[in-house]
Parts: sequence; C-alpha cells; structure tokens
Amino acid sequence: MSDHTTSVVDVRDLVIEFDTPRGRSRVVDEVSFSVSPGEVLGILGESGSGKTMSTQALLGLIDGYPGVMGGQIDLTFQGERHSLLSELPHFLFEKRGQLEKQERGWRKHRFKAMASLWGRGATAIFQNPRRSLDPLMTVGQQVLESITAREAHKPDDTKLNKEAQSIEALEWLERVKMVNPKRVFGSYPHELSGGMCQRAMIAVALACKPSVLIADEPTTGLDATVRAQVVHLLQDLIRDERCAMLYITHDIREMLYLADRVIVMRHGKVLERVSTEDLKDRSSERHPYTRTLLEAAGMIGGDNE
Amino acid sequence: MSKIKVSKIKVIKIWRASSLSFQLSSLVVFAVFLCGLVNPLISYDPVLDVDLSRRDLAPSLSFVMGTDGQGRSVGLRLLKGVEAFFFPGLIAGFFAALIGGGLGAICGYLGGWVGRSIAAILELIDTLPRMVFLVLICTIYPPSILLIAMISCLLFIPSIATVVRRKVESLGAEDYILAHVAHGFHPLKIISYHILWLQCRALLTRQLIFVFSYVLFIETALSYLGDYGVQEPYPSWGNMVAQSRISVAAWPWAIPAVAIIVTIAALLAFGDGIARRDEEVKR
Ligand SMILES: Nc1ncnc2c1ncn2[C@@H]1O[C@H](COP(=O)(O)OP(=O)(O)OP(=O)(O)O)[C@@H](O)[C@H]1O
Ligand SMILES: [Mg+2]
Repeated sequence: MSDHTTSVVDVRDLVIEFDTPRGRSRVVDEVSFSVSPGEVLGILGESGSGKTMSTQALLGLIDGYPGVMGGQIDLTFQGERHSLLSELPHFLFEKRGQLEKQERGWRKHRFKAMASLWGRGATAIFQNPRRSLDPLMTVGQQVLESITAREAHKPDDTKLNKEAQSIEALEWLERVKMVNPKRVFGSYPHELSGGMCQRAMIAVALACKPSVLIADEPTTGLDATVRAQVVHLLQDLIRDERCAMLYITHDIREMLYLADRVIVMRHGKVLERVSTEDLKDRSSERHPYTRTLLEAAGMIGGDNE
Repeated sequence: MSKIKVSKIKVIKIWRASSLSFQLSSLVVFAVFLCGLVNPLISYDPVLDVDLSRRDLAPSLSFVMGTDGQGRSVGLRLLKGVEAFFFPGLIAGFFAALIGGGLGAICGYLGGWVGRSIAAILELIDTLPRMVFLVLICTIYPPSILLIAMISCLLFIPSIATVVRRKVESLGAEDYILAHVAHGFHPLKIISYHILWLQCRALLTRQLIFVFSYVLFIETALSYLGDYGVQEPYPSWGNMVAQSRISVAAWPWAIPAVAIIVTIAALLAFGDGIARRDEEVKR
C-alpha cells in the first residue's frame, strides 16, 4: 500500500448503499484503495461487484438514494488535499432505526465541493464511447470545450486565447492518433467508428489535464484490434501527461498490461490487493476467486498445475 | 464569405432531402411571415376603403380576390388581417417557449420535492380546458388581441415546461451529460447550452409555432363568435369570415376561411417537420 501523504487518491472504508424494493442493499462495503501520482490502479471484478460505484463516488456523481453513506475520500489536487466526505456525517440522521441522508443538502454540498475538482482533479471516460460524446456537437467543439473549461480556472494573464485553444484541440486529436484530425475536428460522433469515438473521448478527457483519469471499461464495446490500439494509446498518453489512472475492466490481460497494482472486488468488497508482478507469477498463493478469474482467462491451468 | 456559401449549400441540401409536405408548408409559413413583416409598412384605412358602388365584385385584375359586401378589397383586408395575429402570436410563442423552457429546466435540475411540486402545479394548470378559460377571461376583461396572446402564452407554459422537464430528467442520466459534469463544464452551461439549446431547440421551436397557430385559431374563433377579438371595421381573418357569411358572394368568406385552414395546417406540418428532422439528425 502506498503512503497516504503522497497519494493522489485515497479512499478509506467507502460505503455505498441503495434503497431497493427488497430493502436497503449495500453495493460497496468498506472499500479502501489509494493511487499514487502517475500510477495505474486496476480494478478487477465481475459485473455488479461495485467497481463503477466506487469510482463514481470519487467524482461525486452517484445518483440514487441514499448513495455514499460513509468513509473518507481524499483527492490531492495542486498540492492541496480535498476531503470529499468530511462533511457527510452532518447530512446523516436516524429515522425509524435506519440511517437516512438529507439528499438535497448533500447534493448541493457535493456540487460545491467538486466544482473546482471536476475536470482538473479527476475525470472519467466511460464504457460506451458513442453515448459519452454529445451527439449534437462536433468532436472538435467538445475537445475545445474541455480546454475552455480548464482555462476558465486560470488567472486571466495566463489564460490561452481562443486561437491557441483551437490549435491545442487539433493537437489533441493528433495525439490520439486520428488518421485525419482536421476532418474529425468537424465531424459529429455518429459519423465516426466506435474506436474513433473512444479515442475522441480520451482526447476530451485528457484535455482537462486531470490528476486522475477514471477509465471505466473503456474497451468493452470495441473489437479486439481496436481494443489493443486504445489500450496502447491510453498507456502512452497517461505516461506523457503524468496522470494517474483508475482502470476498470473484466479483461485480465489488459489489466496485466496496463496496471501497476490491481485490486480484486466481489460483492462490494475488496478481496485481494496485488501488484501486477505478483499476479503474473504463477506460483504465488492467490485468493480462490482471483484464481478462478485467472483460470477463466486461461492465464493459469486448472487444479493439476 | 465562405461561411455564407456553406450555409447556402446546406440549405439547398436540407431542402432537397425534405418531404413534399415540409416543402409546401414551409413555403406557406414563409409567405405568412413575409406578409406579417411587411404589414406595418402598409397603411390601410378601413373606413376610406368602403365603396358601396363596387359591392361583391368577383375577383378581377383590379381586385385580385374580389370585394366584400361593403365594397372593400378582400385581398388587402386579408393581407392587413395578418397583423391581428402575427406579432401577438410570435410574442406569445416566444415567451411561452422561453418561460416554459426555463421553468422545465429548473424543475428538472432541482429534482426532489421542490421540482416535483412545481411540476405537479404545472400539470394541474395544464388540465384546464384552454378554450373555456379563454372565453371566461374575455367575458371578465375587455378582450383585446394582446390579452388573448398573453393568456395563450400563459396557458401553454405548463405543457412546454412539462415536456422540457421530462427531457432534462432523462438527459440527466445520459452518459455524455455525466461526462460533461465530470470534465468540469459549468452546470449552468450544461443546462442552458447542452440541454436547452442543443437538445430542446427543435422541440421549443415546434412549441413556439404551435402557440403561434393557436393564437391565430383563437383569434379566429373569438372574432367569429362576435363580441370578442378584433372589432370591425378593422380586419382580421376571423371577423372577415364572420362579417360576410350572409353575403351573396362566396369569395368574401371563402378566401379568408381557406387562408385560415391552410395557414394552421401549414404551421403544424412545419413544426412537425422541424421536430422530425431533428430526430433524424440525432440518429
Ligand atoms: N441507482 C441504483 N439503485 C439501486 N441499485 C443500484 C443503483 N446503481 C447501481 N446499483 C447496484 O449496484 C451494484 C454495483 O453496481 P456497479 O455499477 O458498481 O457494478 P460494476 O462492478 O461496475 O459492474 P459492471 O461490470 O457491470 O459495470 C449493482 O448490483 C447494481 O445493481
Ligand atoms: Mg460498471
């Protein structure tokens, strides 16, 4: 585990619950993890294990009642540590023996606390690239909008002017290896292939210059060759930008390639934390669930090995 | 320079790609708008136009649409009658779209019990029968076209707000809106630009056109009923029909009646066409 004082993201004992017709269900149960600057932390786990929820909590984007109910999330941004959940207990109250949350008050607080962190502190790319780009804006406009939003936080004299911003937007499209960046700049998402959309999305997200990028199954909807391209691209850009990444996937091979450390989740709990080196090591002791994941991916043989 | 060229090409492309009904209706709408816009430039004195020596003349070269029972030119009155609904209708439509869109966005954004209660009140108002309400108001207050426009605007705000609220709520769960938030775009910008302007503009334009045609319809209906709406001798399409329904000649009432039907039909088809085009673009 990395040191608390140097990590960009530090999540401790995060609890997320939802009210369902069958009562309250805890979908994330005291999950802890941390990410150091420039590090890639992989989150591995089956569907419904709470991977998306744990990372969305970091962005304050959990929608649904009651949502985040406990724990600590620290985000370090420009040398300053932001405790996102430090005020949470003030919004919790007991009612008929159950803990409830003041939803509106919390939402307001969350938006205020996150306002300076969204984009520059942390941002995300999602599974479905087509649905995560605005269908009515050209790709160029969207990259440009990220840059504009980022520049809006800077003091006036260091801001890039409009022209420099459009040049940077075009550069981003080149950096994500678009074949014809000029044409893509003026294209709408429906005119692009899935892989191009995901690369555009990477450009939009990284143009915010985040300290942490959350990549939530960015390759799931893509075919094998495009997947490899996207994974390589992400790795290169993350290294260049010195940006930390939380990488969520079902695909253990991608994980081994990209991640420095991996946490394995199931039913809302962290089962195991391993470094990628250890995971590659066939001889070492593994949690039985991690073993089944490795076996399913053909990474290790059955019981006879 | 080149931008103008591009938009010209775009317009031609859109024109070729659209259906015949959209083409026809947009021609009619364009004509009505032209009439509405040139109207303030034309001076017309309804009293001076009376000439009993030329009563009920059939359409001819000097009177393209003939004359009515008092010898007034039907064509000129038809043109001047556009004034009765044009600006009031536009203003009513514009403000209904603006206020309805704004309210809907606020409800959708706030959510929770505040949003839900505003939405409930709006939906309640929306269940009032509009026509009855209008006639009721007109019997209490001296009816004028401005009053009609104002009431129509108010009556449509709830339904517009409801559509926009639903849209905002459903878009709030869309990945790309979440992505916009995560990328640090200002929430106000997301609501006003990405949601209201980009996503709802076609819908709002359609509602604007609908309110506009509703004002025309109400003005006609109230004028026809007699004591309401634009009063003789000033022309409106409604009172032209009402005035000459007993006349021996057909054109003094048939022409404005056809004008009313064609215009309303064209407006509705045009609005639908815009909304449909927008959906096609999104797919
Ligand atoms: N708004 C909500 N209300 C109730 N339950 C929810 C809500 N959102 C998510 N859940 C539940 O939370 C659990 C964890 O969801 P999450 O999206 O984090 O899973 P995941 O690990 O990302 O899975 P996947 O690999 O399919 O993306 C799921 O069982 C889901 O049903
Ligand atoms: Mg998920």
